[in-house]
Amino acid sequence: MVLSEDTFLSPLIQKGQSQKQQSSIVGGGNGGENGGLFSPRFRSVAEMAGWDEESLLIASLVVEDTPERESKHKKRSDLLNFRTPPSNSRRKRRVQKKSPVSIPVTTLDLDEVEVPKNDVEKQKKEVIDLNSDKEKSKKVIEDDSKEKGGSLDESSSPAIPCIDRLREELSCAICLDICYEPSTTSCGHSFCKKCLRSASERCGKKCPKCRQLISNGRSCTINTVLWNTIQLLFPQEIEVRKAASEAAVEAAGALNNRDTSRRTSPRVSHYNARNGTILALNSPESEERRAGRRRDFRSTRSRTFQPSAAAISDVAGISNPTMSRRRRDLVASQDGDAALALRLQREEFMDTFRGRGEGSSLTFARANLRAMASRAMDTRTRRSRESS
Amino acid sequence: MNGGIPNLGFGMGLGSATGSGIGGSSGNGGGPRGGSGGRSWPSTTSVSSSGKRIQKEMAELNSDPPPDCFAGPKGDNLYHWIATIFGPTGTPYEGGLFFLNIMFPTDYPFQPPKVVFKTRIYHCNADSTGNVSLGILKDSWSPALTISKVLLALRSMFINPNPYKPLVPSVAHLFLADRTKHDELAVEWTMRFAR
Repeated sequence: MVLSEDTFLSPLIQKGQSQKQQSSIVGGGNGGENGGLFSPRFRSVAEMAGWDEESLLIASLVVEDTPERESKHKKRSDLLNFRTPPSNSRRKRRVQKKSPVSIPVTTLDLDEVEVPKNDVEKQKKEVIDLNSDKEKSKKVIEDDSKEKGGSLDESSSPAIPCIDRLREELSCAICLDICYEPSTTSCGHSFCKKCLRSASERCGKKCPKCRQLISNGRSCTINTVLWNTIQLLFPQEIEVRKAASEAAVEAAGALNNRDTSRRTSPRVSHYNARNGTILALNSPESEERRAGRRRDFRSTRSRTFQPSAAAISDVAGISNPTMSRRRRDLVASQDGDAALALRLQREEFMDTFRGRGEGSSLTFARANLRAMASRAMDTRTRRSRESS
Repeated sequence: MNGGIPNLGFGMGLGSATGSGIGGSSGNGGGPRGGSGGRSWPSTTSVSSSGKRIQKEMAELNSDPPPDCFAGPKGDNLYHWIATIFGPTGTPYEGGLFFLNIMFPTDYPFQPPKVVFKTRIYHCNADSTGNVSLGILKDSWSPALTISKVLLALRSMFINPNPYKPLVPSVAHLFLADRTKHDELAVEWTMRFAR
């Protein structure tokens, strides 16, 4: 049920989901008792030295779809920068820039972690039915740890000590926590992206571990393989940190932050709402409905875009009240599946916008420069010829 | 062994060097024990990143302390610690117990902590006011270093003094010229001040 809904999001996610489905089927085949769903992954992790073929396949699939998503979000972040009026404080701007990056995390988490959890709980229920006298007193939260314990007893013994080792290995040397959005230096050491950035800002552009020169701390990118691995291994810790970072963003208390939190919250609720709306979306009529929404969205977009562009030129960075009200109206009117449509539309809008605006201006500029350079060369050669 | 002696040392530290016995002992016993296992310190209060890191280090120090060293908060202030180092065996500082004050800056992992000897020591890298000349506490500090690494570095400073970057040149001269005399003096000072 849940899996089929995701087919609407994007073909990439669908791919990931079908993978999940396969693995869950395999897990079911093994027998629900040991909760086979987690075990292939944990088993593969346990054999840290040699990743077997299956896990490599899974990893490659995960990796395959992340850069795509990242690029989409980069585009979207550009859009956001246009939408939200700039503030003069550097920190706020960074938060603003950072927030869209943290969004793929939510989607990724919900896709990849929530779904297996549901399955696990279902399996758990079966187990409880089988030997109800033992298991009844256990709480839902303890299920996960028990799951690990069960797999430890029955299938893969090195799971738990390995988890501790992994926690050590995957923690950031600067904050001593699990790496959050890890970034890897050119010398091969990984830290939280935020930690590495502030370290290079305040302690010079040297690797905190080995003191080798880092090329540029500002351009640090997330090591996607590592980040996905961490998310799979420590979903709870990442949840906590994500919540903490979101709380920090909210605590910053700027107007843009209100915007970002609203942007994330409809999506989360949307995942629940999709259960209800999926039938409507599946019907052939929904296609035109979406298309129609896209059209009118674009018109609202173009309306809202003008004032926000004006707001950018506003040096004081005080947002224009009418604009924010309009934006609020826009967001408030969105119900569950409209959020999905909004996402699609944003991507599409960004595509078209990019194609027309930025790309063409860049190519124009380049052509102009080239022409100028060739002209200058011509005159120089002519002059030198004349003088000689 | 490891658990017993540092605690004793800390108790002595509270008696002699600090005034706030209750605060110190609560910092020692109550805090890190809860945090030693797995995910710790749920962010019910808004602790800054430096505070979080210091708490983590405290938990780590309590679960796995470096040899002959101990460190913990002096009182309620998380940013003001007291540390003890036992003089390593085979050195003139053997049998001595050296107290240090550690002050964490507010942007801690990115700035080095200030470490000061509270016990007088005859050492070319530590002067009479307790200042220490240690590279990793100044220019070559890295945010990946922790207090336990700093304590280990201080301990290795006891074993191998660096007379080429001295804080007290006269001691360094004596160390290079007449090692036995230097060691005798160091033993004498250890007996006088660090017992």
